[in-house]
Amino acid sequence: MSERPARPTKLPLGLLLALPVLVTVGALIVVPYVNIVIMSFRTPSTTRPYAPGFTIDNYARALTDSFYLELLGDTVRLAVMITALCLVIAYPAAYHLARTTSRWRGVLYALVLSPLLVGVVIRSFGWIILLANNGLINQMLRALELPALPLMYNEFGVVLALVHVFLPFMVLPLMGAIQGIDPRLEEAARSLGASRTKVFRRVVLPLSMPGVQSGCILVFVLSCGAYVTPALLGAGRVHTLTTEVVTMLDQFLWPRGAALALILASAGLIAVWLWAHFSGRTMRGLA
Amino acid sequence: MTRLSIEALEKRFDAVRAIAGIDMEVAQGEFVALLGPSGCGKTTTLRCIAGFESPSAGTICFDGDDVTGLPPEKRDIGMVFQNYALFPHMTVNGNLAFGLEMRDIAAGEVQRRIAEVLGLVQLDGLGERYPRQLSGGQQQRVALARALVIHPKLLLLDEPLANLDAKLRDEMRFFIRGLQKRIGITAIYVTHDQAEAMVMSDRIVVMFDGIIHQLGTAEDVYDRPATRAVASFIGLSNFFEGTFSGQVGVHYGLDTALGRIGCGAGFALTPGQKATAMIRPEAIGLASAVPNGAAAFQGTVAERYFLGNLADYRIKMADGSVLQVQQPATASFAPGAVVHVILPADRAWLVRERAP
Ligand SMILES: Nc1ncnc2c1ncn2[C@@H]1O[C@H](COP(=O)(O)OP(=O)(O)OP(=O)(O)O)[C@@H](O)[C@H]1O
Ligand SMILES: [Mg+2]
Repeated sequence: MSERPARPTKLPLGLLLALPVLVTVGALIVVPYVNIVIMSFRTPSTTRPYAPGFTIDNYARALTDSFYLELLGDTVRLAVMITALCLVIAYPAAYHLARTTSRWRGVLYALVLSPLLVGVVIRSFGWIILLANNGLINQMLRALELPALPLMYNEFGVVLALVHVFLPFMVLPLMGAIQGIDPRLEEAARSLGASRTKVFRRVVLPLSMPGVQSGCILVFVLSCGAYVTPALLGAGRVHTLTTEVVTMLDQFLWPRGAALALILASAGLIAVWLWAHFSGRTMRGLA
Repeated sequence: MTRLSIEALEKRFDAVRAIAGIDMEVAQGEFVALLGPSGCGKTTTLRCIAGFESPSAGTICFDGDDVTGLPPEKRDIGMVFQNYALFPHMTVNGNLAFGLEMRDIAAGEVQRRIAEVLGLVQLDGLGERYPRQLSGGQQQRVALARALVIHPKLLLLDEPLANLDAKLRDEMRFFIRGLQKRIGITAIYVTHDQAEAMVMSDRIVVMFDGIIHQLGTAEDVYDRPATRAVASFIGLSNFFEGTFSGQVGVHYGLDTALGRIGCGAGFALTPGQKATAMIRPEAIGLASAVPNGAAAFQGTVAERYFLGNLADYRIKMADGSVLQVQQPATASFAPGAVVHVILPADRAWLVRERAP
């Protein structure tokens, strides 16, 4: 008689397959986050990561000190500005990419993604070469005997560089949403007497709202958390919460930094929730 | 109530010539179908009339006013699309109000017009639904209502029934036609379904390869097709090639491989000229004995198919050709039987090989 091979039990195999993911997620996301939360309640010390004992003083300080509140306001304001600029610049590009039948479509697509092809540090140095006080643009201006412009070490440079790199995160969801809108709907609207502007306001924009929503959320969250670009292009003269968090880490005030980071994350989440809520409402309102 | 005139209309897409020299006049309140096989340029013609395509050449006039350069939103047209193209983010009422709002019509009047048109398309009470909450047939009628509620000059329809099942399609043919007559609006209807075109329209434009082959009533295109292509596309036909031998009274004599047959013609020929005649299967008579008077040709029944109301025969002729003949199923000829085939001169018609 032939022997049947022992049937492996189902559960351990499934668990085995999921294990790598579980370990990765656990090790790389859950544990660090929990660690940050715990850290934010520890007592700060200037000579080592933290002193013994727990406190809510880190939060109390951050939330009562007008310096941090202003910093939080600035960070959110910059992120809103970057998001709005990205939206305005990305929409026409996304619309074109979604609708064009040109054979240059692939090239345009690559162009849109190109900011992501270069690492953040190299990209920032590229901007510095262009924007610095004795950078390419100002050298040209001086050569033309025009006054030099302050293009860097200020919000302008930071916003410019961040808009540049976050554009793809706006274009891609917008493009996906617009591609899902039947071009016949636009034609139907025009046959009913709607001008191009009206077609956009009443048909295309409301129907692309899911793309607008996700694009804005992506860019906003990325802008809130941006560090390298503000640090390099702001060169210490543009302050955001992220640059402040890093400053604190440098000063060994890890618990204070952790609290600030969590405040920023919560503020970001609240902003995203508000935006999703209200843009959902306008979506219905526009129709 | 608008008169539509199209002159020498041409549209090229890079190398492709989608339509080449379309001329047509559509009278006020007329229902005209654009009929032809896939890719013949029906949609392109309609989209030029609507203003979605700008013609490479030619003019389009509504009531004598040249609209060729006007964008679609300035043309005052009602358009019904094959996939309905209802705005998914608006209710039925929202869809119907859209065109009226673009015309800055007062809210009270908008409500009145919506109620009126919903009654016309028999959708009362569905105004608050979203398009996705409607059946295909209902969506179709909303699309029709949305096009009509603005009281457009022209109603343009591009295969509006193609997505419906056969039974509903049949009902909607009569529904749309009835509505169009009641309102008295001029309508252009694109279809590749010959039955639809014949049932619905006052006149039919038959197109092939971007060219109009014939513009006429259903009787014209069925009984007196202008070209071989028209005869083959609409209904069934038998063709006879031969040489024109001269006119006998109103009939034209054609010497074919079978012998001389008489037929009608819509154009002049010179004796000796090559020509093709066509005759519909049901126009051909079959007799077991040589009939009196009429010219008859002897043949053998090769096949017989029973179609219920009709019997469909394949008759093998002396020259080896096979004719398709349809007769009422009551008279019956068995396969193998020798029959006399009668080709009535007033049912045979000369067709051109290419568009005039
Ligand atoms: N935007 C376009 N670009 C290039 N060629 C086109 C375009 N639109 C139509 N054509 C071509 O023009 C010709 C006519 O197309 P059209 O859509 O008018 O045909 P149709 O009669 O409506 O066919 P169907 O019954 O399949 O809808 C076709 O050969 C088609 O490939
Ligand atoms: Mg078509």
